[in-house]
Amino acid sequence: MKKYWWKILGVLILLYTFFMGLLTPLKTGISEASPMSLHAGRSETVTVVGYNSFFTKEKEKLRAWLKLPNGKALAAKRIDVVDDRVAKLTFDLPSYLPIDTKVKDFTLLIDSPVDGASVLPGGIAVTQDTVNLALADALWPNAEISQLHEKETITFPFRNILGETIRNTYYHVPLWMAMFIILTGGMVFSVIYLIKNDADADRKAMALSNVGLLLGILGIITGAIWAKYTWGKFWSWDVKQNMTAIALLIYGAYFVLRASFEDPEKKARVGAVFNIFAYASLVPLLYIIPKLTDSLHPGAGGNIAFGSEDLDSTMRMVFYPAIIGWTLIGLWIGQIILRTTRLRDRLMEV
Amino acid sequence: MNIFTQIFYLLRKEITLEWRQKYALSGILLYVLSTVFIVYISFQNIGPQVWNVLFWVIMLFASVNAVMKSFVQESGYRQLYYFQLLHPIAILLSKMIYNSLLLLLLGGLTFVALAFIAGNPVQDAGIFALTLFLGSTGFSITFTFVSAIAAKADNSSTLMAILSFPVVIPILLLLVNLSAHSIGLLGSTDIADKTMLLGAVDLILVAMGLVLFPFLWRD
Amino acid sequence: MLIASKKALSTCLLFVLPLTFLLAQQDTDFMRSMGKMYVVVAVIAAIFLGIVIYLIRLDRKLTKLEDQIKNHG
Repeated sequence: MKKYWWKILGVLILLYTFFMGLLTPLKTGISEASPMSLHAGRSETVTVVGYNSFFTKEKEKLRAWLKLPNGKALAAKRIDVVDDRVAKLTFDLPSYLPIDTKVKDFTLLIDSPVDGASVLPGGIAVTQDTVNLALADALWPNAEISQLHEKETITFPFRNILGETIRNTYYHVPLWMAMFIILTGGMVFSVIYLIKNDADADRKAMALSNVGLLLGILGIITGAIWAKYTWGKFWSWDVKQNMTAIALLIYGAYFVLRASFEDPEKKARVGAVFNIFAYASLVPLLYIIPKLTDSLHPGAGGNIAFGSEDLDSTMRMVFYPAIIGWTLIGLWIGQIILRTTRLRDRLMEV
Repeated sequence: MNIFTQIFYLLRKEITLEWRQKYALSGILLYVLSTVFIVYISFQNIGPQVWNVLFWVIMLFASVNAVMKSFVQESGYRQLYYFQLLHPIAILLSKMIYNSLLLLLLGGLTFVALAFIAGNPVQDAGIFALTLFLGSTGFSITFTFVSAIAAKADNSSTLMAILSFPVVIPILLLLVNLSAHSIGLLGSTDIADKTMLLGAVDLILVAMGLVLFPFLWRD
Repeated sequence: MLIASKKALSTCLLFVLPLTFLLAQQDTDFMRSMGKMYVVVAVIAAIFLGIVIYLIRLDRKLTKLEDQIKNHG
């Protein structure tokens, strides 16, 4: 039992991530609003399609606003709830808007005691014929947005393009993190091999690189599937996609190099040297280059990083354990490979 | 002899050897010229963006060919002789320096040939020269070290390409990016950052090479 | 080992990607229904498939080793 505790821990952590990651509902969101553009000076009706929403519960207390970035807001005059998912909001737009351009994107905000507040950021464009700030200030019935409700149950954030695929954060991203941890471990064992000249250290380096390659391939495939339904293509020539493909090529080359030697000592030595050199040339850049160029991934070229916005505290509760879980499972698979190669090498000696 | 005199003598030996068997050098120069010509025939009209990419791709392939021979083509007896006589760091450094010079020459020639045939889109010559310098040292460091690895195996010429291309791609990306600045394709905001990054990468690779080479050498 | 990973990759490409392709072809857009939940399912299926294929390759390798040991003994 003592020997197995970390394997059991890994499985338990992964089970936890699968349960939490799949069963926790998404926060209520607005998936659609039509028409997307309104005109000033008219009474316009916007049909809103909610996601995971329960508009019919406590529908008298439903409130809605059109909000400007500067905080000015216009409350909906009437709200007709069609069913749990659909509601019709009627806004009385004054003829002049408190903006200095003809067209401006407004944010739609709905608040319900059941679902909490949900937003459609910059989702609705409003056009006015002439700009007149003085008249607008007089006409604009500014509504105070206050006493917004919070949904009480545990939820994951709702993002319009992502939808439920936000859960892939726990199944795709941790594979990369685990891959890096494991490849780093492999590099460390290569260093140990060169210092101590111990054949077992080389076996460990090889086993860990092998698992790293597996995790990398799984990461690329899962990433491609996710990309198809978020960005439209399996392969979008995104910097991170390319860089990780390079990482896989390098580790592929590592195994080709090893395979081309007969002598086990030479194989181990040259392999270790290449492993360290390749790691040193690649890994710093994997962190730096995506930050320099534009990327579709978060955390690069003006995109929001995995900061407060993208990874909220409920997501962290699943995301970080998932990294540890995958690393432990990777180490387990690595250990099996290690034992296999040990067995093979002992057989060769006989 | 201390390491510096060893490096000096080795460097002189490399240059004399190269000068004596001119066919190797002229072979590479011819390789560059014919590649540029083929590229010209196939593209006819080369815009600045394509020019930039083509320059570095031609440079990449020519460099692999030029550097490959540095360890692969030396006979085992000669290596044994060096091993008994010289410090491994001197051997590696002299090859790296020699190859940097060779690649700088190669880069200059590629530039002249490409500029002659397809026009010269470079606006900021200083940055371009700096990029070329950093690029040829980066290529030389990576390829020299990889050729030392590949020389240990039997099918070394295939291995050379397999091992070196993935390792060099990050450097290549930075180079294309930096030289795009000199051509005026990108705004010149973070040139200093990128130059420093490239220099840092070169330094890391040299350091790794110097630390690791003695292990490779031991036979 | 490299071959094992390669096989895992190619098999995943062979099965999972065409499957998602096929599903994407349908006009009702099965994959995008229910807030794209099936994309998550496909991702988990891909991970599962990849690991299973990898384990099968490892298993075969061990069987071969066991056979060798039996022959020696």
